[in-house]
Amino acid sequence: MDPTETETPEAPSFRHTLVRVMTVQVVTLILLWVLQTRYNG
Amino acid sequence: MHPINWIIVVGYLVYVVVDGVRRSKGTTEIEGYFLANRSLPWWAVGLSVMATQLSAVTMIGTTGQGATDGMRFVQFYFGLPLAMVILGVTLVPFLHGAKVFTAYEYLERRFDAKTRSLTSFLFLMSRGMSCGTILAAPAVVFSAVFGWDLTWSVALIGIPTVIYTMIGGVQAVTWADVKQMVLIVVALVGMVVVLLVKMPVSPDEALHIAGATGRLKIFDFNFTLNETYTFWSGILGGTFLMLSYFGTDQSQVQRYLTAKSVPEARSSLLMSAYWKIPLQALVLLVGILVFVYYQFQAPPLLYNPAHEAQVQEVRGPEYRELQARYGQAFAAREVAARATADAPESAAAAAAMDVFLAREADVETIRDEALTMAGEVTGESPRDVNYIIPRFVLSELPIGLSGLFIAGVIAAAMSSIAAELNSLSTATVIDFYRRWYKPVASDAHFLSVSKWATGFWGLFACVVATQAATLGSLIEVVNRFGSFFYGSILGVFLLAMVPRSRAVGAFFGLLAGMAAVAAVNFGAPQVSFLWHNVVGALTVLAVGVVLSRVVPEKG
Repeated sequence: MDPTETETPEAPSFRHTLVRVMTVQVVTLILLWVLQTRYNG
Repeated sequence: MHPINWIIVVGYLVYVVVDGVRRSKGTTEIEGYFLANRSLPWWAVGLSVMATQLSAVTMIGTTGQGATDGMRFVQFYFGLPLAMVILGVTLVPFLHGAKVFTAYEYLERRFDAKTRSLTSFLFLMSRGMSCGTILAAPAVVFSAVFGWDLTWSVALIGIPTVIYTMIGGVQAVTWADVKQMVLIVVALVGMVVVLLVKMPVSPDEALHIAGATGRLKIFDFNFTLNETYTFWSGILGGTFLMLSYFGTDQSQVQRYLTAKSVPEARSSLLMSAYWKIPLQALVLLVGILVFVYYQFQAPPLLYNPAHEAQVQEVRGPEYRELQARYGQAFAAREVAARATADAPESAAAAAAMDVFLAREADVETIRDEALTMAGEVTGESPRDVNYIIPRFVLSELPIGLSGLFIAGVIAAAMSSIAAELNSLSTATVIDFYRRWYKPVASDAHFLSVSKWATGFWGLFACVVATQAATLGSLIEVVNRFGSFFYGSILGVFLLAMVPRSRAVGAFFGLLAGMAAVAAVNFGAPQVSFLWHNVVGALTVLAVGVVLSRVVPEKG
């Protein structure tokens, strides 16, 4: 089987998406961290 | 519950079934029944992936956990975005490109038939049983809250789900998931809005009260293997668990195999990567706000109404005395909570908080006494975390929204069960019936067998759910056994991507991985289950690579 279907044209935009995903996660974690430091007794 | 709420619940159930049956039209072959002819858009698949993972346990158990334990459970999902990214570049193109029906089918092409059959069998055993527990969890709660017989509760959720899954196949499952996901989010957001409106303090003050009790302590950076929810177990163990679940569990793999293309399948998984942690935080926040709300509105002493009724009947005077003490302790705590809310930033804040925590401890002590009494009277586990939110919903939410929430709980259960039934049927028919018993037959024949297989697993789930109380220890054993091979199956799929790895390495590596997890489980029982997946996957990889190179090839 050939699992490499439509790899090449999609790869750059997917890499861009990966960066976006990890950026969103970091922002989410920072927001949770702010929530903790602001309110945690 | 008010008749309008019942109309919402029944109307929703009827709509899902009718829509599911409508979508069955035109499905004449198993490619359409199991994979929707690989034609679904990424956003529908993405919502289906999220709906499958979000079960009724999330709606009533995780929200309850938020009320009692706070936000730290969200750490469990910290590895999910990374896992989705890894899957997007590894297993998704492999499985989608291989044009398989099941993830295990791919293992035969890569290794051999016995590796495929073993992994598929393990999936059928664990998911078949877990499908019953997913159905049992809300059914047991509904049974206690509404006073129904457990069988009727199981039937209310189970029968409509089996009907639309059996008739409509994956098309019905996916499009029902889309609607169910929307319903769930609307119900959760509606609850947050109502809580904030009804709360006698501002949102900022409410969060200060929650924070004072440690419920907003989200991050735990201690590196301990015996603590389940830490930052490190979430990032490392969680990544392996999510890789296993989304990459090798047929109930999830089948969702993205229905996508139009590899990029669409990837995008569907990335939806979870973006939204799962915020959604889980929202779920826990609902519980936290309910906890704060109950600082100003007297909560029941026991949340499980069935237990409460039994205790009142058997040990009435003693329970009433406890209730009186509870009322006094609640009043004192309410005063302390208001003082904490009024002075969150002042110099008196620390002193007010100390008083509040002392009053909170008094309330919890009396609650513990009541729970002990409930355990002694009923002979059952007195733990009532799963009843906190349903009791709140039925007594405090406005008419309409409580019906929406109950429909949301049923929707969450149905979406998970439907996806599992559909995938159990797929594995049964493709990996066993067609592979070993009847390789050649018409599509109409396989379609008919697939529908009967769905019905069989639906019946199996319903029977397990109705026997949940008596099968409790058996289900626990099965779930524990399930953790033995979850990471190990991931290891086999990872091994498949290693060049020159062979069937002998995959099969015996899988057995070695399960043995290693069993050894950790029994030899060091304090190690949290999140780490089991890491041990299993890495053992399979190590043993598989070595055996593939050391054992000579036949012929």
